[in-house]
Amino acid sequence: MGATQRLRRRTVWLLIIILAVGFGAVITRLAYLQLVRGEDLQRRAVEQQLSDTTVSAKRGTIYDTNGKILAQSASVWRVVMAPAYFDNDEQRRFVASRLASILDLDEEELFEDTQQNTYYVSVKRKIESEEKEQILQLQNELEEKYEKSSILSLLDDYKRYYPYSQLASSVIGFTGSDDQGLSGIEYQYDEYLTGTPGRIIAAQNGIQTDMPFDYNQNIDAVDGNSLVLTIDETVQSIIEKYMKQGIADNAVYNRGVCIIMEVHNGEVIGMASVEGYDLNNPFEISAEDQQEIASIDLNYLISNGYVTDEKAATLSNEELDELIETARSEAESADLARNWRNKAISDTYYPGSVFKMITLSMALEEGVVDEDSRFGCSGAFQLYTDEIRCHVYPSGHGTQTYAECLWNSCNPGFIQIGQLVGEEKFWDYYQAFGFSEKTGIDLPGESDDQFFDWEGEEGAMGPTDLAVASFGQNFSITPIQMITACAAVANGGELVQPHVVKQILDKDGNVIQNISTDTKRQVISTSVSDEMREILEENAIHGSGKNGYIAGYRIAGKTGTSEKLVDSNGDGIKDYIASYCGFAPANDPQYACLVFFDTPTSGNYYGSVVSAPVFTSIMSEVLPYLEVVAQYTDDELANIDTTAGSYTGLSVADATRQANSDGFDVTIKGDGSTVLAQNPVTGANIPMNGTIVLYTDEESSTEKVTVPDMIGYSVSDVNYIAASYGINVSVTGTVSSTDSTSVSQSIESGTEVAPGTVVTVTFSTGGIND
Amino acid sequence: MSTSEQAARRARSYARSSSSSSLRRQKTRFSLFSIGKGIDVPFVLLIFVLLAVGITMMFSASYPNAYYYQGDSYYYLKRQLLFAAIGIAIMFAVSFLDYHYYHRFAAVILGASYVALVLVLFMPAVNGVHRWIGVGTFGIQASEISKFAIILFLAHWGSRYYDRMDTFRYGVVPGLGVFASTALLLLLEPHYSCIVIIALLTVIMLFVSGIRMKWIVIGGVGLAFIVILLWVTGMLSYAMERMEGWGQALVVDRSSELWDTTWQTRNSLYAIGSGGLFGLGLGQSRQKYLYLPEPQNDFIFAIVCEELGLVGAVIILLIFALLVWRGVIISLRARDRFGKLLGIGLIAHIGLQVILNILVITDWLPNTGISLPFFSYGGSSLLMLMFEMGVVLSVSRSANIEKS
Repeated sequence: MGATQRLRRRTVWLLIIILAVGFGAVITRLAYLQLVRGEDLQRRAVEQQLSDTTVSAKRGTIYDTNGKILAQSASVWRVVMAPAYFDNDEQRRFVASRLASILDLDEEELFEDTQQNTYYVSVKRKIESEEKEQILQLQNELEEKYEKSSILSLLDDYKRYYPYSQLASSVIGFTGSDDQGLSGIEYQYDEYLTGTPGRIIAAQNGIQTDMPFDYNQNIDAVDGNSLVLTIDETVQSIIEKYMKQGIADNAVYNRGVCIIMEVHNGEVIGMASVEGYDLNNPFEISAEDQQEIASIDLNYLISNGYVTDEKAATLSNEELDELIETARSEAESADLARNWRNKAISDTYYPGSVFKMITLSMALEEGVVDEDSRFGCSGAFQLYTDEIRCHVYPSGHGTQTYAECLWNSCNPGFIQIGQLVGEEKFWDYYQAFGFSEKTGIDLPGESDDQFFDWEGEEGAMGPTDLAVASFGQNFSITPIQMITACAAVANGGELVQPHVVKQILDKDGNVIQNISTDTKRQVISTSVSDEMREILEENAIHGSGKNGYIAGYRIAGKTGTSEKLVDSNGDGIKDYIASYCGFAPANDPQYACLVFFDTPTSGNYYGSVVSAPVFTSIMSEVLPYLEVVAQYTDDELANIDTTAGSYTGLSVADATRQANSDGFDVTIKGDGSTVLAQNPVTGANIPMNGTIVLYTDEESSTEKVTVPDMIGYSVSDVNYIAASYGINVSVTGTVSSTDSTSVSQSIESGTEVAPGTVVTVTFSTGGIND
Repeated sequence: MSTSEQAARRARSYARSSSSSSLRRQKTRFSLFSIGKGIDVPFVLLIFVLLAVGITMMFSASYPNAYYYQGDSYYYLKRQLLFAAIGIAIMFAVSFLDYHYYHRFAAVILGASYVALVLVLFMPAVNGVHRWIGVGTFGIQASEISKFAIILFLAHWGSRYYDRMDTFRYGVVPGLGVFASTALLLLLEPHYSCIVIIALLTVIMLFVSGIRMKWIVIGGVGLAFIVILLWVTGMLSYAMERMEGWGQALVVDRSSELWDTTWQTRNSLYAIGSGGLFGLGLGQSRQKYLYLPEPQNDFIFAIVCEELGLVGAVIILLIFALLVWRGVIISLRARDRFGKLLGIGLIAHIGLQVILNILVITDWLPNTGISLPFFSYGGSSLLMLMFEMGVVLSVSRSANIEKS
């Protein structure tokens, strides 16, 4: 019975093979995977089972010194799509077309995105609440139509807003698409402002939605620190208003800079590079510039070296278009770079005559000049083979004391003073005043100075170098270096480090760091500083700096006009920088201010004519705002405006007594016994010694006077004319010196006005050509 | 009159004569109170245990998918329970049916399986392959019929010509012919994993039927040759595509083209590895949350490993082993050669499915679509399986009755 035996035997073999080999192999394999590889496999499984979502940290706020918000992050959203959920092209098309219209994107590109088999496609970042609402609505529609609510989702994001858009743009700076600081404070303090992004670690299923079982670990985002700047929004606004005016008035080609600094602690109260740019649209190019860029043609290509004349003729249309395209994009980049540049710290310039305050400080500190020193000026100074002319050439300043040299801004005088100081000491003081190093201001992009080097030795000067250096020519410094040195002259000789951030706050507004003042060194003695303050104040009253004078505020200052070596705008006329640097009050300096315009093209380029009036306008608003106490001389008091009191409703006798005691003259119109009306009205501006007109009946109030022509007169003449016409005059502008003349009046001559009406008359003086 | 007809007639006359002579034999007739009579109780218990564990694990593995895609966590459970109930009924019903009927219809059933294999080619393709014959919402894989038909036919042939199985003509040619013709039709579907299974089943049936060992060796070499030939002609492209990344699941990185191809296998390995020795606990699998695609189907055992650990997996495998062992015992006790061969073929099929399925989910075989008996979701395959178990029980019933 072989067959049955064989079957039985073979079946047993089969059973053994299946159980031993088959099941044996299977169990071995499982044991290997679960015991030997288990840990590794489990780790890899957990890795994919946990979602790790980054939560954006809110970037800190930037405040001005009074807590006004200069930069702020607001909630926006990011639209994310999970195209793997789409079932068909109809759904894809529907979503692509709706997204395209809501988010203003290209439909075909979106449609391509919807084809991806993934759960995460970033559609658009930083959408605002209006778009967000539409996306939510679209989400609902998807749910209703296709039951696909998870195709679209919204993630929290932040967007940077700058409430004052252009204000202090070069200081504040802007952020990029990833919220990273790209320029200014946003860049410099990026690590403080950024904060730490948080994470949400959660169990998720294979389609990246939440798991039904609980596993959540949240690491909260730590919002960024906030910054309080030393910048004062009001001061900054004043600065920018007048700087823009100055640029327009003087057709300034290459922007202007103004810095206001607290002289004792280096706090920068205002810093402007005008024109700036809109921080909310940093990549926007002004319409004017766009036009200019659009007008780039073959001639531009040739004159800017893109193509040679000969080659231009052989260019094909395509090549020409390509070159023009290149030139346009380069022009655009250059335009943006110029807008963003913080000229106050990144540009270097010849300081010109402003530097004379430094040269004189050196000489006084070294004791190489005294009251008996005399410096002659014949209109020019012969130095070896060169003739250096004074600005009054061919006439001269004659024999001067050192103070007179400064008041006259006399170049030959300063060449002599500089020679007394000597090359070596000059270089020492140059370093001591901080010109040879960066000021260390907490802003990015500060430039180095460019001083002389003679035969390879830094700071060593050639024979003519010292001569021109003594009046601020042929070496370049930054505006921030100049005002810092000026502050040292003013504050008793201490060189402080300028800074723009005052405090660092945590997310709850608690101060975590106060930026203290860093005093680097004593450069000159207090007594020299005292003397310099007197000399510079006198300069502002009577000397070359008198256009910077402001009644009551004891301005000390110095003008400067420096030549540039290049003709930047290509008009064939030498370019100049017109500047004014001063401080106030002279007896107790608090604020220094530097105004500088790069390449005025309207014909006037002197610091005294271009920059001093802007300095005056700025300081006359800024100093009262900063609560610097006015100290008027008697002469000045006469021209000071005050406000009219309330006399209406009183008896004529009482009103007259009251007005007189307030310092006003009184003219009574009408025959009534009670004052019915007054001009100027209560609270209106009126000069200190002005005349109040009191009306006692109805008829008299209709009486009119004619405004006279008051242009071209001195202050006293204008006051006399006004009085005779029965009107009041408010005096503004430069009225310090005897040669002030009125240049404009607020109400045109010939206009009929009520008696007692206040007409504002602006005075000016001729410029000093230094 | 053919041998099978004779056998059937003999069986019928036997049943008739025994029913009239004894009370006990009357009980072998269908009655709700006597369905257990004569069948192999350990075998039935093992089936119930596997079915209970299998459905529990199928529910555990399927409910995230059911929840996310069907909106009803019990979607698969409800259906599987229904099919299991029908399946149990079928199993007992079939156990009463004298298996000698199949002897008679072996050739007919084989012919029907060919018809089904041809018919399926005209059915709409699912995922690029033609496998399902649909009847309304109910579909059955043509290959399920084929596997049973081949086992049946070879049992029939091996018992009928048992004395000539050591010849080439009777021993090798019919088996080879049936396999080759079926494999050819399966190639057209294509359904490679089934070809592998029927090849192994053919070899097992012929081996047990008593052919010479040299033919088995020659057959193995010949099969290898054919596979190489197919590979050269490019007809294996589909299989190759499925085999791409075979053994690479843990090696490829996200940027690789194989990342998606090996997704299922990789997540299966993650699940198995996560289980460790004792598992995460019943219902605690994480990989079933849409990481492992269709965890209720072929890859269900990966979830079993994750939830019950190596210990649980080994216990389940031991139950399967006991089932196979018990099935073999039943088969060997069959009173005739046809019963023995049929039982061995069917139980070997279960064993093969288990082994091949686990080798697939552990990345030792290419991901080819082999379900796990009693565990994997699927109505028609469960019904077919329960039918086959009914046939085995029919063999045991018949043997026990004869003994007593």
